[in-house]
Amino acid sequence: MTPILEITNLHASIDGTEILKGINLTIQPGEVHAVMGPNGSGKSTLASVLAGREEYTVTEGTVVFHGHDLLDMSPEDRAREGLFLAFQYPVEIPGVSTANFLKSAVNAQRAHRGLSPLEPAEFLALMKERMALVEMNPAFLQRSLNEGFSGGEKKRNEIFQMAMLEPTLAILDETDSGLDIDALRIVANGVNAQRTPHNGMIVITHYQRLLNYIVPDVVHVLWNGRIVRTGGKDLALTLEERGYDWIKTESSVEA
Amino acid sequence: MSVSAFTERIRSLAQHHDTAASEDAYAALRRHGFSAFERLSIPTPRHEEWKYTNVTSIFDGTLVIGATDAAQRPATSGAEITRALGADVIVLHVQNGRLQQDEHSVIEGVDLYDLRAGATTDDLQFLASIAKVDDHPFVALNTAVHDSTVVIHLHRNVHLERPIHVVCSADTTTSTQLHAPRVLVVAESGSSALIVESHHTVGEHAAVCVPVTEVVVQAGAHLQHVKIVADEGQGKHVGYTAATVARDATYASHVACLAGAFTRNDLVVQLIEPSASAILNGVSVLHGSEMADNHTVVDHRAPHCRSEELYKGVYDDRSVGVFNGKIFVQPHAQKTEAYQSSHALLLSDRARMNAKPQLEIWADDVKCSHGATTGQLNEEAVFYMQARGIDRAAAKALMTYAFAAEVVERFPHEGLRSLLEQHIAQKLEVSR
Repeated sequence: MTPILEITNLHASIDGTEILKGINLTIQPGEVHAVMGPNGSGKSTLASVLAGREEYTVTEGTVVFHGHDLLDMSPEDRAREGLFLAFQYPVEIPGVSTANFLKSAVNAQRAHRGLSPLEPAEFLALMKERMALVEMNPAFLQRSLNEGFSGGEKKRNEIFQMAMLEPTLAILDETDSGLDIDALRIVANGVNAQRTPHNGMIVITHYQRLLNYIVPDVVHVLWNGRIVRTGGKDLALTLEERGYDWIKTESSVEA
Repeated sequence: MSVSAFTERIRSLAQHHDTAASEDAYAALRRHGFSAFERLSIPTPRHEEWKYTNVTSIFDGTLVIGATDAAQRPATSGAEITRALGADVIVLHVQNGRLQQDEHSVIEGVDLYDLRAGATTDDLQFLASIAKVDDHPFVALNTAVHDSTVVIHLHRNVHLERPIHVVCSADTTTSTQLHAPRVLVVAESGSSALIVESHHTVGEHAAVCVPVTEVVVQAGAHLQHVKIVADEGQGKHVGYTAATVARDATYASHVACLAGAFTRNDLVVQLIEPSASAILNGVSVLHGSEMADNHTVVDHRAPHCRSEELYKGVYDDRSVGVFNGKIFVQPHAQKTEAYQSSHALLLSDRARMNAKPQLEIWADDVKCSHGATTGQLNEEAVFYMQARGIDRAAAKALMTYAFAAEVVERFPHEGLRSLLEQHIAQKLEVSR
């Protein structure tokens, strides 16, 4: 089976400071990988490098996405090829409605795949169906993207966009941050509804709480730019119980 | 010096005018214009009001003053706006400064005619009563060289459903032109209307347009006034609009600068009686070496008046924007509400914006605010869109379009809005 994503010895830095110091990670179709770790361990940097943020420089290593060199692609091509980043802090875009934004995004992806744009009626029906997954009110479609949305609404909007773009690899960057328990459940249900045997997910989180709802196949612990532990879903529970300090201590000893 | 050659031509025109003059009120007004212009002359950038906009380069001795009767072609860009205003639009063609209509027409309670020398109508009293000849060099110039005034007079309680389109164009096929359209709008008490004024140039030679529009909005009247400068031709524009707004009346000005090498708009709105209100919207979308300078004045001269102003501009390449917005609140104008904001988006490192809000508040019980921003596109938002598969250029265009569209949405008339949106989208290369 061809992996969806294969990260080998990935090193990345920003402004001359190395943040990722040799990441190795392979995701097979159907798998959900959780990436946990204390603040500053490099979790969000990993998400940013995969999505193609220019501020980061990859100094070493490779990332292969569906057999193609991911690092060679522009951010928009990565998205069109099926990579999706759910932002930790979704951006407000004044004057651009959610509907208009998604129409541009979906049609850009379709054009990339040689498909014609969706008919307006067809597109509207699809949006309404997918919004229901995260219990979003269709009134949001006409509002400026994320402008004046609450924290929970922004995160739901991210998962709604994911449902519209049907990515083969979704990276959820601290999607649980700032969510109350009800919003967390809604968001997690929306994500779970999109799990298929063909796609993969990277769930980046600080806390184990989210993983009660989105149950991972594999859990990685990132610390100081490296994956220092990999295990099953129980690893998350151990972390919740013991904190990150024991990992830091053990990793320092190993290092 | 080109300016002195120009001034010399105006002087000789004045002498010719003097010898031919009758004792008619109109002739007296023009003489007043000549003497005021002689005193004020073409302002240099040393003059505070003309600091960022050097008009001395566009006036030279080669400009031909006064309309010729050669065959004149209408501007296609004008026809496009006329079409957008719908089938029932009333069109007034002002060609090289003169209304192309001899008869005095009355349509649905609105008088439409050309006020010329020798005429004796009550509307003469309004002429030059709002745009002050002695205060402004281009009001003086227009008054000196214009030869007639297009009058739009709405009678009491007339609600004109049909939009009026005043198409001002110049044909410069045979020579350069200085043209001075002059419009007087009188909205009597309780009346309402939409007037769209647009400016165009056809022909290879240069044209300089120095229009003056005076607007009298009487008690309880509501006037929507749109001004469009979208000159793809050789036209340069130095325009002046002044309005007085009486008790419970509203004057809403909407200015769009969508093309043009050189555009200067002066807009002066006086709120002269209690509970008058003014709305000032402006949008500029420029590229290449285009320039648009909007100088606005809102003068609160009575209590309980309200004004709300929003100007936005998008500047690409080497284009230049100027916004100078003055708000005066006179000592007795208590309970004034006056809001002003101006925002500029620079799409290139070489584009420039000069913004200067000026508030002079002499009353103590008022609500006033102003805000001016000049910035670039939010890179985080561009990346967010890229991360959804929208390419960088399209993401920028979409955001830029949205920035400008916020003002266009406030313009009246659906057909007009969609035309302006289409123009802006084309200019920004947005796929819609």
